[in-house]
Amino acid sequence: MSTEPGLSVIQTDPILRVDSVTKSFGKKIIFNNISFNVQAGQVVVIVGPSGTGKSTFLRCVNGLEDIQSGRIVFEGDIVNAHSKNIVSLRKRIGMIFQNFNLYPHLTALENVTLAPMKVLGESRKLADERAMDMFRKVRLEHRASAYPSQLSGGEQQRVAIARALAMNPSLMMFDEPTSALDPETVGDVLAIMEELARDGRTMLVVTHEMGFADHVGDRMIFMDGGTIIEDGPPSELLKNPKEKRTQQFVNSVLRPN
Amino acid sequence: MVILIDYSFLLIRGLGITLWISWVALLLAALIGALIGLGRTSKRWSIRFLTGVYAEFFRSIPVLVTLFFVYYGLTLLTGINLSTFVAATIALALEGSAMMSEVVRGGLQSIAKGQREAALSTGMKAWQVELFIVWPQAIRVMIPPAVGVYVSTLKASSLASVIGYVELTKTGLLIRESVRGHSGSLLILVVIATIYVIINFAISRLGAMLEERNNFVN
Repeated sequence: MSTEPGLSVIQTDPILRVDSVTKSFGKKIIFNNISFNVQAGQVVVIVGPSGTGKSTFLRCVNGLEDIQSGRIVFEGDIVNAHSKNIVSLRKRIGMIFQNFNLYPHLTALENVTLAPMKVLGESRKLADERAMDMFRKVRLEHRASAYPSQLSGGEQQRVAIARALAMNPSLMMFDEPTSALDPETVGDVLAIMEELARDGRTMLVVTHEMGFADHVGDRMIFMDGGTIIEDGPPSELLKNPKEKRTQQFVNSVLRPN
Repeated sequence: MVILIDYSFLLIRGLGITLWISWVALLLAALIGALIGLGRTSKRWSIRFLTGVYAEFFRSIPVLVTLFFVYYGLTLLTGINLSTFVAATIALALEGSAMMSEVVRGGLQSIAKGQREAALSTGMKAWQVELFIVWPQAIRVMIPPAVGVYVSTLKASSLASVIGYVELTKTGLLIRESVRGHSGSLLILVVIATIYVIINFAISRLGAMLEERNNFVN
C-alpha cells in the first residue's frame, strides 16, 4: 500500500501486466487498448458506469474470456484463454462473483474444500482444517455445515471469499461483490475485504462502493466507454479529477445525501 | 374369475418379462441418451447437428415402425436373425435414447453458467467441473422427466407383442384367446390394465422419493 504508482520509477516486476488489451464480441468492441500494471500487495479499484467492460476485463484476466489483441501477463505467464496452462494459472487467481456462484448441492464447508482437495490434492482432513481457518477469517465458523440456500446473501458472499482464499491465490479479483446484496449486509463483506487488504493481499476490485474505494484502494482506475480515462490515487480521482468525464461520474455517484 | 386365478402365474411371469425388457431398454437408453444429450450441448457445430438429427429422427418415428424396421428390416439388410427380445430391446432403446437425450440436454442446460465459471476459476479442469459441479446438480433436474421416459418405455414395451414377444400384454392376449367365451375374456384386459397402472404408479412414487431425497434447495 506504500507505493505511489505515479512516483515509482524503479519497482519489482508487476504481478499483473496489461498491455494494450482489446476485447470484442464479434464487431462489438467491449474495451479497447487497455494498459496498466498491478504491483504485489496493491489494491486496485476499477470504477465506472455500467457496461464499460469492467467485469469483462476481470474475466479476461483469468481466461474466462479471450482477448482479441494485446497481452495480459500474470506472474510472468501469458494469459491465453485457449491454452492448457490457463488451468494452472487460475489456481493462483481467486475470483469473487457478483452473484456468489456457490455450489448449491454442497455445504459451505464442501464449497471451500472442493478445490483444495481436487486441484491441490489436499487430504480431507487438511482441507477441512484450513477451511475452518478461512471460515474464522470471514467470521462464519458457525455456518460451515449450512447449504448455500440456508445462508443470507452476505453470508454466501463471505463463503465465496473463503472459497477463493482457500486456494491461497496471489491475486484476488472481486466483480462487484456487493452489488447483489441487501444494504445491511454490504458492510460485513466490505469489512472482510478491508481486512484482506490489510493482510497485504493483492486485489483487483470492480465496485460501485466509492467509500470503500477511497478508504481501502491504493489506486483507482476510472473506465468509461471501453477505455481507461484516469488512473491514480483514489483521493485524487475523487477530489481533483483531471478529466471531465471522471468529474461527471464522481459527481453522479457522490451525490450529497 | 376362478379361471383367471389359474393363470396368475403366467401373468406374474409376463409382468416380470415386461419389467425386464423395459429395464434393459431403459439402461441402454440412459447410456446412449447421455452421450447424445452431451453431444447436443457440444461446442462443435457438427456434433450438435448429428446428435440433433438422431434425437429428432427417433423421437418422431412411432415405436411400432422402428420395431418393424429393426425386426424385419435389419434381418433383410444384414441377414442376421434377431430374436424378438433383441429386436424389441433395440427399438425401445432407440426411441428411449432420443427422449433421454432431451432430458439430459435440458438438465445440463439448466445449470447456470456461473457454476462452471466459479469452478473453473478455482483451477479445476473441465472434466472435474462436469463431474463435481455440473452433473450432480443436473441429475437432480433430470430425475422427474427420466421417470416419465421409463414409464413410457414400459408402456411401449407392450408393442413387442406384435412381433410375438410374450411379455405382459401378449400374455394377457393369449389368456384371452384360451378363455374365449368365458366371462374372463373381458376381465383379463381389465386385469392387465390394472397391473400397468399399479406398476407405473409405483415407479412414479419411487421417482418422487428419489427426487425428494436429492433435494438440496429447501
